[in-house]
Amino acid sequence: MNRAVELTDDGLFRRILAGDEEAFTLLYRRKHPAIYRFALHMTGNPAVAEDVTQEAFMTLIRDAKRFDPSRGTLGGFLFGVARNHLRKRWEQDRHSVPLPELEEDLHTLVTGNGAARNGSGANGNGTSNLAHDQVASLETVGRVRQAVATLPPGYREAVMLCDLEEMSYEEAAAALDCPVGTVRSRLHRARALLIEKLRDTPVRLRRATLASD
Amino acid sequence: MQLDCGQFEVLLPDLDRAGTRGPALREAALSHAETCGRCAARLTESESLDFALRSLAAHDAFRMAPPRVETALINRFRLEKGIVARRRLRWELSVLGAAAAMLLVLGLTFHERRLPPAEPKAQLASAAQPGATGVDATDDSAGATYDDAGEFTPLPYADDPDADGGAVVRVVLSRAALVSLGVQADAFDASDNISVDLAISQDGTPQAIRLLSPENQNEN
Repeated sequence: MNRAVELTDDGLFRRILAGDEEAFTLLYRRKHPAIYRFALHMTGNPAVAEDVTQEAFMTLIRDAKRFDPSRGTLGGFLFGVARNHLRKRWEQDRHSVPLPELEEDLHTLVTGNGAARNGSGANGNGTSNLAHDQVASLETVGRVRQAVATLPPGYREAVMLCDLEEMSYEEAAAALDCPVGTVRSRLHRARALLIEKLRDTPVRLRRATLASD
Repeated sequence: MQLDCGQFEVLLPDLDRAGTRGPALREAALSHAETCGRCAARLTESESLDFALRSLAAHDAFRMAPPRVETALINRFRLEKGIVARRRLRWELSVLGAAAAMLLVLGLTFHERRLPPAEPKAQLASAAQPGATGVDATDDSAGATYDDAGEFTPLPYADDPDADGGAVVRVVLSRAALVSLGVQADAFDASDNISVDLAISQDGTPQAIRLLSPENQNEN
């Protein structure tokens, strides 16, 4: 088996089945950010997102044979497991309310961590313009995040997987355990709702400004 | 290709989506939007939403679970795989043990089949009858000396010399004891200890006696 095959998701999965710790670490590092983001968007709670991410990979450790490659991708399987854990959480704790993170984002920007996270530095004469752009961007991001957070869970899942994680309809359908047509219709309705929610935000203006630049 | 408003509406969310027919029909959709103000507005809104969602995705691209999650999972992985390895070892040892036990049973069975079958009935019957010589295979302790032994003589008080079962035992008796059993023991001194074979019935009563030949006397 050559190295390239070993490093595919399926190759790593086979090595995990054989007890290869390095393969598990590689797969975790590759897959966990998307799972964590999915859980974070679905709950708005970083602690819960952390737990759900851990549970999804625990399933892979304890019960890896539940994954059937003929039924979908490993990523889709992990999203599906994470989604099931989220649903159990919701049933256990109905107090979980998505929290908008705009204030946290702004705080991050003020304390300087945001620039590092976004891979840009803010210094010299351009500081105030850059900061202004970043605040505007963060406002946009915060409003979009809030709008997504207020979507019904089924619609939010479709937006998360198809628009934010850029999954195909087929992959999302496998992860959500529903037909492709259902994913498509949920996504279309979700987008219509988002457009309604964001109609009064500067998102469209900003898009127009960037287009004119 | 010409699109109407209904087709445009269906196609709109997929215009930039890989794996759909949206990208292939993008030009036709844009052509339609140029001629329809309502659809042009919908297109702008959809593109704005795409931009907003991409901004959110880009902003969140750096979000990931804290390192402690990875540490906990790797520890758990080691633990689980260790357990699995131990289970596998136990299972392999069990299989090995079962195979060894089976081999032992087969070996014993084969060994038993190779041994001559024990026939105590025939021994006693033949032993109880004077002149019988078929006792050589009944008692390992007698060994080859039985071939040289004399005939069994029924004891005077033998009540059932033809009884089934019983055994032949070799004992050492004094001359007086032999005489008390009705055996002529003139050839022995009074102080001699004499080896004899006794055919004993199932209830333990001696039924017949056989004096061992003189050369076998010293063996016991």
